[in-house]
Amino acid sequence: MEDYADELRTPPVSLISLVGCPDLHQSILTYLHKQQPPINTIALPDFSAISLLQKTNKETLDSSVAVPPGILKRDWLSKHRTRVPVVVAALFASAALSGDPAQWLQVCTDLENLKLIVRGRNTKLVVVIVQSTVGDEVSEDRMIALRKRAEVDSKYLLKFVQDETSELNASLSRLGSTLAELANTYYKEEGRRIKVRIEKKNVNSIELIIRYCFKASIYLAVAVYAEFRRDWAEALRFYEEAYHTLREMIGVSTRLPPIQRLLEIKTIAEQFHFKVSTLLLHGGSRQFLVFAELLETSSATISNTTSPSVVSEKSLTEWESHPAYYYHFAAHYLKEKRRCLEFALSASGTSGVPLPNGTESGPDSVVPSVYVGQFSRLLEKGDSMQPITDAEFTSYAFEEGKRFQDSFEIIALLKKSIESYNVLKASRMASYCRNLMAREYFTIGDFTNAKQIFEDVVHQYRQEGWVTLLWEVLGYLRECARKLKLVIDFIEYSLEMAALPISSDTPSEMLDRNMEYCPAGPASPSQRQLIHKEVFQLVKGQVMVSSEEWSCGLQINADEPVHLEIDPISPLRGVFLASVAFHEQVVKPGVPTLLALSILSKLPIPIEIDHLEIQFNQSDCNFIVTKAHREQVDSDSDSQQDLRVETASFLSIGTSKWLRLTYSIRPENCGKLECIAVIAKIGPSFTIRCRAESPASMDDLPLWKYEDCLETLPTKDPALALSGQKVIQVEELQSRVDLTIGPSGPALVGESFLVPVTVTSKGHPVCSGELKINLVDPRGGGLVSPRELEPFSTESHHVQLLSILGPDDKESLTGPDNNIINIQQSFGLLSVPHLSIGQSWSCKLEIKWHRPKPVMLYVSLGYLPKANEASAQKFNVHRSLQIDGVTAVAISHHFMLPFRRDPLLLSKIRSSSPPEQSTSLPLNEKSILVVSAKNCTEVPLQLISMSLDVDADEVGQSCTVRPEGDFPSDPCVMVPGEEFKQVFSVIPEMISPTLGLGTVSLKWRRERGSSSDAVITRHTLPDIKVETPPIIVTLECPPHAILGDPFTYHIRIQNQTQVLQEIKYSLSDSQSFVCSGSHSDTIFVLPKSERILSYKVVPLVSGLQQLPRVAVTSIRYSAGLDSSPTATAIFVLPFHPHFRIKDEVARESAPAATEPPLSSPIQA
Amino acid sequence: MIVCVSVVGHQNNPLYLQSFTEEDDALKLHHVVHCSLDVIDERVNNPKKTGSTLNETFLGLLYPTENYKVYGYLTNTKVKFILVTTDVDVRDADMRNFFRRFHSAYVDAVSNPFHVPGKKITSRSFAERVSTIVKSFGLGGAV
Repeated sequence: MEDYADELRTPPVSLISLVGCPDLHQSILTYLHKQQPPINTIALPDFSAISLLQKTNKETLDSSVAVPPGILKRDWLSKHRTRVPVVVAALFASAALSGDPAQWLQVCTDLENLKLIVRGRNTKLVVVIVQSTVGDEVSEDRMIALRKRAEVDSKYLLKFVQDETSELNASLSRLGSTLAELANTYYKEEGRRIKVRIEKKNVNSIELIIRYCFKASIYLAVAVYAEFRRDWAEALRFYEEAYHTLREMIGVSTRLPPIQRLLEIKTIAEQFHFKVSTLLLHGGSRQFLVFAELLETSSATISNTTSPSVVSEKSLTEWESHPAYYYHFAAHYLKEKRRCLEFALSASGTSGVPLPNGTESGPDSVVPSVYVGQFSRLLEKGDSMQPITDAEFTSYAFEEGKRFQDSFEIIALLKKSIESYNVLKASRMASYCRNLMAREYFTIGDFTNAKQIFEDVVHQYRQEGWVTLLWEVLGYLRECARKLKLVIDFIEYSLEMAALPISSDTPSEMLDRNMEYCPAGPASPSQRQLIHKEVFQLVKGQVMVSSEEWSCGLQINADEPVHLEIDPISPLRGVFLASVAFHEQVVKPGVPTLLALSILSKLPIPIEIDHLEIQFNQSDCNFIVTKAHREQVDSDSDSQQDLRVETASFLSIGTSKWLRLTYSIRPENCGKLECIAVIAKIGPSFTIRCRAESPASMDDLPLWKYEDCLETLPTKDPALALSGQKVIQVEELQSRVDLTIGPSGPALVGESFLVPVTVTSKGHPVCSGELKINLVDPRGGGLVSPRELEPFSTESHHVQLLSILGPDDKESLTGPDNNIINIQQSFGLLSVPHLSIGQSWSCKLEIKWHRPKPVMLYVSLGYLPKANEASAQKFNVHRSLQIDGVTAVAISHHFMLPFRRDPLLLSKIRSSSPPEQSTSLPLNEKSILVVSAKNCTEVPLQLISMSLDVDADEVGQSCTVRPEGDFPSDPCVMVPGEEFKQVFSVIPEMISPTLGLGTVSLKWRRERGSSSDAVITRHTLPDIKVETPPIIVTLECPPHAILGDPFTYHIRIQNQTQVLQEIKYSLSDSQSFVCSGSHSDTIFVLPKSERILSYKVVPLVSGLQQLPRVAVTSIRYSAGLDSSPTATAIFVLPFHPHFRIKDEVARESAPAATEPPLSSPIQA
Repeated sequence: MIVCVSVVGHQNNPLYLQSFTEEDDALKLHHVVHCSLDVIDERVNNPKKTGSTLNETFLGLLYPTENYKVYGYLTNTKVKFILVTTDVDVRDADMRNFFRRFHSAYVDAVSNPFHVPGKKITSRSFAERVSTIVKSFGLGGAV
């Protein structure tokens, strides 16, 4: 942009001139400059200076006779802006006009001189009379005389009042508008005049070229004048016209030597084009705005984009509105230019072209001539110019071209283009520009930069499989690596190129002409082979065939071996691809299994491998494959730590053919066995380490997958090729030790449940055996319930591993000197003594359940089959057993009152509605406590004792509790489901709302649990409430009756209170009995006394009969005293029982049968 | 004159690229075709900007570059056809006609039971047919 002069870049500004009255110039000048559009001014202090405006010599536009030397003078545009005013304003002081005749004469002379100068250029004239005040007027006569002298229209004779501000402003604006109007008129007239000249021209003109020169320059002039008038549309039209004229001119002009002629046209076209672009920018078109923005920041080369954008009349594609596009083009054409220059230079032989005329001055003396786009020789004498010949010009241009650093310019442009494309996310375009840029670096010998940029690019082409482009970039990269002496990089790039899927041959005749191809030559199979050969010569350290090419020093030293690493994302996968599959998925240790090893290479020539090493994660499985006949390899590989050496009949990988090898592997260690890598050694100091891939998860080769070629499977077995894995699971060894957990069966809560565990050696001796015991809740919850409070167990564990007993049951292994390592509530670790083959050892786990709960018992035995071998494989045997814990006995209890005796307990009456929690017992009355224990298990239990443990401190004095009857002395066996009952009599001796009765302890054991200790199951009795019954009703009747035999039956009502008790009673008849006595009445029982109701009854029916019921109601407490139906039942015998004599003893020893049943134990 | 026609797969990988030029700018044409994928991407991703209708397979002029103009066509299976020509003025109808014929040639080629979809087209008859289409381009030949 800066290369263009001001007059090209900015719109033109009209120029006027002020003459005379210099004191006013400053204010007028400032005023005009601020106008819109502004007007520039040349201020001449007095009329003697007007000769400056004089035309110097003949103007280009007027020279119509001779062949014009050029189209456009270099200074033509600037001349109209800075030197040639279009309006001259002559300022005369009013004093000078109205003064003496001498002054008037002077004015007339000045005017005459001015008119002379002005007329030559058609310059407009304005006469301004400067008055100091409004009243300071010049006489009308003088005015007319002046106007006539000046030959101006009356409206161009202005008055200018300088002293009063308002008047001054009015005068300035008047002057300004007049000047602008005149300037416009001038440009319009000039334009019209020149246009007319074009139209009437050329019928009789000497040469066509003149016409074209004229046309071009005239169009230019018209355009410029239009531009002065700010008539942009017309300016644009004429610039375009001029531009097209130039194109036409190329064919016809013979004016200058041909090269210079073209150059001139081109230079002018460039300027026109620039103008057009600038004007279009003012036009506001969006696409061109971008284009113009681009122009603003670009250099001269941008003008090369002329033809595509201006000629195209179709709508632009979106791409053409991106700056990147133009940067790219600028770079492209600059490159094109340089290519032409280079071509020209090479065509012309040596760089310095001897000047034909033998002048010594050389190109230095060539300078731009007066005309745009022309050059001439500056003669030493003076300023005069001499035209130059084409040869001279060419040599000058070459010198200039050599001086210019095109490459850096191109790189800078491309960089901008890349940035811009990156913003657009046009990665491919950016890659292309990067590619060009890297090539530019390559051309100037900056291989480091070139390599770096090419490496960025190469990724894109690899990804999308553009093999030809990839080949090109790799060729450059390879060359960069060669130049930078990067051996590994060189090998990598060479191998990648050699393995590219290039199959079609480019016709060979095209190769010679090819200049664009990369240093590696065109992409072709033969070239691939060439590269392959080269790189393998290098890695094998052989003598190079084309040694001069290799003289740059690429070689591999034996002491610095080259090592390539190929992983699944490496671009070198096509060079060497190792697929490894085990035939099986699971194998037992020590059992051989087959490993299929398949290697593929896409290199164009088969490669010979010296040996292959296969590496596993278990390094003792590693092995080496060598060629069958090559024995010396074995001696070489002594350093390889005695690896297993396998042989293969041949180790050569053909093109696109899988090398399929199968070997047997015997994994020794259990766990995962994975093949990690396959290392191929080629030549003395070159190895390729390729990460092993499973055929099941192997990707296609990224570039080859698009090729229409036959795809083969890595293994012959298609199933293995589809599902084979490089990993095999090595199972644990089969242990030859038996671990048994003894008989199961439910455990009983509270007992020490013994679980026998037996370790039996059946082929392995057990060394450093270790037994792990674990108790786990099978339902997932823990066995711990720290928050739950057990009444009789403070242990936090529901199930507890108590101890481990030795084989003979007695010896506990928990002692400090024993071999228990650790024991916790649910976990135990125990060491097992050394066992020889055939021996067995057992122990018993003592587990206690506190709650009924199932438990999973895990026992695992870890042992070594051989002693004193730290690295030996450890064997593990696991067993588990679920054991249920069940409650052995369920203890329940209930209280009873003595038979046919009903104490009135007030608490029962009062709180009839809510069920009473605590039982109420009458004070000093004998109550009966029945405790029953039920066997809930499925095994018979032996009861040892049942006792009621009374807390002596509290209960001892307040209550008497004693068992009724003795506990059976011989072992009492309860079969499953049986219930055992024990009766206790309870006599409370103290009134208490909460009287603790103590705990029932039941001692029991399994009937067949040979030696296990007795287990005590406890059952806490609830607290009872002791109160004094106010009234006790006792029913008294014989134990049985005889049919028809009358008997008496009493109801004894005891009043235990200090008050008179009113009792209401009623008797309900019964059909079974005839009854005598009062049926219903209200009676009074005196304090602390009793009253007896007596009835004589005769049974009428035999069998169990209900006595006539007597309902007794205490009026005071409004409580009925109903005896239970069982209490009022009596058995009526049909006749007197007759006992035999020999039963006499029995009759004597059992008098209780006839006694009232108070003292007999109650049967349920 | 058509200098290059190309079929590009839906992963932007070249499936077929044939240049019809005597000059040795085959490599450059590869670049031109590859770069034009950027334009297609932009067209496809911003359909509003270009105002192309949804079902329009003909993408029109992609971009002019150096001495060439690049035209594109996108099939329903996201396979792109790219044409590079040196002609400055090409009638839209000619271009559409060309692509239509080219598309049917492509369809026939990939319908070959021995063709594996997604692989490069190596059919010789396809190549012959394409060169016939290319030769008859602009002559107003029948479809």
